[in-house]
Amino acid sequence: MARTAAGRGSLMSSPEQPPRKKYWPSGNSLAAFWIPGMILVGIIVLALLVITIPVLRNPEYLAGAASDPVVFQAFFVTFLAGFCAVGILAITGTPLAYALSRSDTPWKGVVETLVDIPLVLPHTVAGLMVYLLFMSRGLLGAPLGGIGLTFEDAFPGIVAAMVFVAIPYYVNAVREGFGRVPVQLENVARSLGASRARAFVTVTLPLTTRHIMYGALLAWGRAIGEFAAVIMIAYFPVVISTLIYYRFNTGGIAESQAIAFLLILLCLVLFFVFRFLTRRAGVYDDRS
Amino acid sequence: MIAVEEISLTRGDFSFAGISLQVPESSYTVLMGPSGAGKTLLLESIGGFLPVTGGRILVAGRDVTMLPPEKRGIGFMYQDYSLFPHLTVEENIAYGLKMKGIASCERTSTVKTLLSSFSLHTLASRHTGSLSGGEKQRVALARALATRPSALLLDEPFAALDPEARLSCMDEVKAIQKEHGLTILQVSHDRDEAYRLADQVVVMDNGRILQKGTPAAVFSYPVHPTVAALAGFENMLEGTSGSSEGGRTRLSIGTGTIIADRMVPAGDRVFACIRSRDITLAGADISQSEQVNRIDGQVISMVATEHGCQVRFAGPFPLLIDIPGDRSLQDCQLGDHVVALVAPADVHLIHLPKNTGEGGNAP
Repeated sequence: MARTAAGRGSLMSSPEQPPRKKYWPSGNSLAAFWIPGMILVGIIVLALLVITIPVLRNPEYLAGAASDPVVFQAFFVTFLAGFCAVGILAITGTPLAYALSRSDTPWKGVVETLVDIPLVLPHTVAGLMVYLLFMSRGLLGAPLGGIGLTFEDAFPGIVAAMVFVAIPYYVNAVREGFGRVPVQLENVARSLGASRARAFVTVTLPLTTRHIMYGALLAWGRAIGEFAAVIMIAYFPVVISTLIYYRFNTGGIAESQAIAFLLILLCLVLFFVFRFLTRRAGVYDDRS
Repeated sequence: MIAVEEISLTRGDFSFAGISLQVPESSYTVLMGPSGAGKTLLLESIGGFLPVTGGRILVAGRDVTMLPPEKRGIGFMYQDYSLFPHLTVEENIAYGLKMKGIASCERTSTVKTLLSSFSLHTLASRHTGSLSGGEKQRVALARALATRPSALLLDEPFAALDPEARLSCMDEVKAIQKEHGLTILQVSHDRDEAYRLADQVVVMDNGRILQKGTPAAVFSYPVHPTVAALAGFENMLEGTSGSSEGGRTRLSIGTGTIIADRMVPAGDRVFACIRSRDITLAGADISQSEQVNRIDGQVISMVATEHGCQVRFAGPFPLLIDIPGDRSLQDCQLGDHVVALVAPADVHLIHLPKNTGEGGNAP
């Protein structure tokens, strides 16, 4: 018996033996799921290629776009407005997400539905809402205009539109994170002398890092991609999506493709930098 | 001391009203009851995590009913210990001291003392995710004790441990309780835990307290079927009391009768509680006079157990009977007609007087 086992061991480790073929037990393969799924992945790859290949074939458009101060300014405005929108969401959306995750009030469902509204609205409707609220005679625009904050065709207008459309992305992602932190951890923190606010800051928040980061990234991506809602309140200063649309209409596909390529490239770089910087964030999120 | 006076609480569909409970100073009380009895809710309401709608909670003589958890001076420990996973063992223990604004040097010295007395010094810089169940429990206890609470509430602290670690942890907790003179209220499902740890056992079900007393008193003389089930009476036979004579009562159960060593008024609802180990089996030819309670029936199943064999017996009422391994059961086979013998003294009676729907009285 021992000799057989030893013999089998030596056979298995012999370099002359061909590698064993893996056989999936019947019905255990994921092929039936991968095949239809790859249609979607294929569409994304193709969409990237139809932008990338023509731009790389005609680099003069890319060089022109990269050196164009209008393009640079549009990128700057877009990214800055996106960061401001995320900052506003972090300050206001984080407490809302926490309240929603811990509350059992009967009104919770109503608030959750309201938070989701920007998700289901056509972007033009969202734009109209933002315009009516923040225009110089608007419900919020008028009093804020009184303290010098103008939204129409101004940077704050872009931020307002971005915040509005990105609310559900941030709040829902962060609320899910808070929901995963057991309330018992907060109870224990409080029994040890922490107030509700300190228990939130010292226990709940550090254990929701990954979801907060993810929510911020989703919201930022959604915000910088907004077009309709932004142009309705602030055509100027021009954001990148407005510029791409303008160049598409006036300069043709090649010009708009070059700017779109730059946007994709910058977003990818930013996403990679973000992932690198936050690679250790949320390392304890799943251990709570 | 923890004194709960007539507190009421509603949580979703569950509510309890008028619960009163006393946990004497430096004593260990174990709160028992079936799942959904409201034990954890009661513990959480004492801890201040759930608002009560009436009554008072006093801790060390201080009314804490309206105080937030952080001002009650009560330590709390959950079944999973709820250690903070983003902090090290040392930081977990220091957490409460930091929240209470204890100076850094004093904090360090207290944490060092606790790490040493709980044999955690080698784990001080480890994160809690990599600790064993017993180590986690020691960290949770050290953390809870760091702030010197007036009382400690433990929600099934031994349930997640393997049997070996469980016993040693129980002994450790009991030793710590005695050493520090702690007042502890612990939720448990386990009778052995109560025997090992408790000075007082409180049994509750459906949001009300059914019985309290020493473990021996509660488990030997349950006054309610739920308590009897927790006390390990495997056979609980519902019936009606009949004639009484010579300190004994004849009970009608199913299609048969059984005699118990206790007088109760005739016609009342009763539960005859018999431990499976207190019943013996004999051949059908055993003489009539040998035992007072002789129940004829049939063996319908036999299952091997750690201590011998467990028999399901079908007669005028069903019985579960434990046959110790050292007693031979040579002639007993599945389907055999046998006789179950029970001494009247081994029939514990829960008497439910006619005018009360639930609850009974001890003998």
